[in-house]
Amino acid sequence: MIHLVPLLIYGVALLLWIRLLLKGSDVQDPAVPAGITGLGVVVHAIALGSFWTRFGELPLVGPGAALSSLAFVGGLAMVATLPLKDVGRVAIALLPLVMVMQGVALILGVRPSETALDFQGAGFVLHVSFAFLGYQGLALAFAAGLLYLVQHHELKEKRLGRFFHFIPPLATLDRLGRVGVWGGFGALTVALLLGWAWTVEHRGSLEISDPKVLWAVTSWFVFLGILVARGGGGRNDYRGAVASVVGFGVVIGTYLILRVTIGGTGLFL
Amino acid sequence: MSLAVVGVSHHTAPVEIRERMAFAPSEASQALMTLRREVGVQEAVLLSTCNRTEVYLFPAERVEVVQAWESMLEAKAGRIERRIRDYLFEQRGDGVVRHLFQVSAGLDSLVTGEAEIQGQVREAYERAVGMPVDPPLAGPVLNRLFQMALSVGGQVRAETPIGQGAASAASVAVKLARKIFGSLKGKRVLIVGAGQTGELIVQALHREGAQGITVVNRTYERAAHLARQVHGQALEMERLAEGLSGVDIVLSSTAAPHPVLTREVFRHAFPSGLRRPLLVIDIAIPRDVDPVLGDESGVFLYNVDDLRKIVDEQVRLREGAIPEADRIIRAQHEEFRTWYASLEVVPVIRTMRDRADEFRTSELERLLRGMDHLSDRDRARLEEFSHRLMNKLLHDPTVRLRKGIRSGGGSRLVEAARFLYGMEDHEHPDSESGKARASEDGNHGRAWGGSKETRGP
Repeated sequence: MIHLVPLLIYGVALLLWIRLLLKGSDVQDPAVPAGITGLGVVVHAIALGSFWTRFGELPLVGPGAALSSLAFVGGLAMVATLPLKDVGRVAIALLPLVMVMQGVALILGVRPSETALDFQGAGFVLHVSFAFLGYQGLALAFAAGLLYLVQHHELKEKRLGRFFHFIPPLATLDRLGRVGVWGGFGALTVALLLGWAWTVEHRGSLEISDPKVLWAVTSWFVFLGILVARGGGGRNDYRGAVASVVGFGVVIGTYLILRVTIGGTGLFL
Repeated sequence: MSLAVVGVSHHTAPVEIRERMAFAPSEASQALMTLRREVGVQEAVLLSTCNRTEVYLFPAERVEVVQAWESMLEAKAGRIERRIRDYLFEQRGDGVVRHLFQVSAGLDSLVTGEAEIQGQVREAYERAVGMPVDPPLAGPVLNRLFQMALSVGGQVRAETPIGQGAASAASVAVKLARKIFGSLKGKRVLIVGAGQTGELIVQALHREGAQGITVVNRTYERAAHLARQVHGQALEMERLAEGLSGVDIVLSSTAAPHPVLTREVFRHAFPSGLRRPLLVIDIAIPRDVDPVLGDESGVFLYNVDDLRKIVDEQVRLREGAIPEADRIIRAQHEEFRTWYASLEVVPVIRTMRDRADEFRTSELERLLRGMDHLSDRDRARLEEFSHRLMNKLLHDPTVRLRKGIRSGGGSRLVEAARFLYGMEDHEHPDSESGKARASEDGNHGRAWGGSKETRGP
């Protein structure tokens, strides 16, 4: 039940952000929706903390628990943007993602996995934490990219409506997307290296057929693709935004396909 | 209420008259000093902007104060075709409060909701506060009035979309640039043609931090003149492509009969395409920029019709917020009335108490004269009893009077109290003795029925 509370608070925060959007103003102070968003993340941390004290393990194993932690990292990414002028408005695109993750986590059940893991200890915690950071970096880049494309469209079509007023400037979104992609890429690379080192050490080789390994490696290449799109000549800001949105779609799509077709051990996928 | 505002505004005088009557900050201070020194004005605040020059006065019964101000404006205006009074407006009483609240909220501005006026009202108020005179020119009434006006302005802007969006070509350009580039600090601007609107826009961009401004014009001298104003550089028209290369914002306003910024010029300036967004504002008629450039990736092209459409839309949006802004103004206006009326009730209560005390003292003396046998202790007891009795009798009327004023009873209650206690001719704020006493108390005026008079051409 305690894991439902942050979801409800996120819901209220999202409604407040939407209300701000509908007001169609960029001068309205977003302190209230930003504060409620922050409160949601704090309550989420408390909920995950209660999981830890109750079960004596971090909520990193088992689809529900892991997804709730992933949502929490998304919440942290959002909170990090809130104090920056205008940037916090990106919460309007990030909050639905966080809510979906937390909602699915609740459906699956936020409880420890019944299967014991070989990979444990600090190395495992770091591996999963970096992986979560990586995926949330991508989510941040997606949110920034999506808003960039909407704002770009508004400017091209000369429609200075609600979206135009609410959404941060193109340059701000571009910078945010860049931070998300580079940060996410770095974190996912570290996570993969940690996982790869453990697997090679304990199992002799990387289990590439494992769906979660397949997904992580695909995600890493998606990051690489976005970085390539962001580099080079021409309008790399626009290309970067498109690539972030498409890349995020590919990562989510791959997850769903793997889950439906191959399935996993039930620990992550 | 003994308030008045007298002056000229965009409602009553054309710009050529208003500009003659505009007061620079030092002149405004001087004018206030003169009003205090020569006609003994008690409270005064002078607001002078490009749209208005008006003085707020309290108390405003004395004709010579208004006359002195009119003479000052006349001297400032110099020789004009018509009489100065033809351009003046005057409001008195209640209307002054509403007028100032509307001014501060931007409802009385040429462009509804413009934000600058709030700062100008603040400056005018602070100037009066900072004048080295005693008693201060922003005394109790104007102090409260201006503080409330500033608060109303802030509230209206925060709670309604009155100041939202951009309502002039220059502010639209700045808004667009901000939504593309975020901060304009260090952004490079190219101006093609040096017309008046273009000049206004480039100055607005410059104020926002745009640097590296290049001016291209057919007449090099004109380009150099504008470039000097914005610390930029001037180029000949033949070097347009060179100027275009590497800029973030292009502003075009030539009188050329055909496009000057063509696809060829663009290709020449950006041979490998744009690497970052380019905002192009074409305010020329006929257009200076080939419309096909708008299809280029990264080019955000806005012509004069686009800007006008945006401005119209924003103005409509702002005007739609007027009823909501009016609601806020009405509520605050009511609050000011209550505050003012509460000032008015203070001398009434004091008189009530003074009179009751006179009766108490005389009756007590009469009583004690025939009771010589009483000890000092008993006399003191009787004295104390008389005090308590008087306080108890006055307590309820005093509390109810204050409460009635707070809940909007206003002057009617004060009048009733005056009538009941026989004070019609006693310390009435309109009487000479009342004025003197009211000045000491920081309490002035009586009637609320404000009058409005506009003397326009």
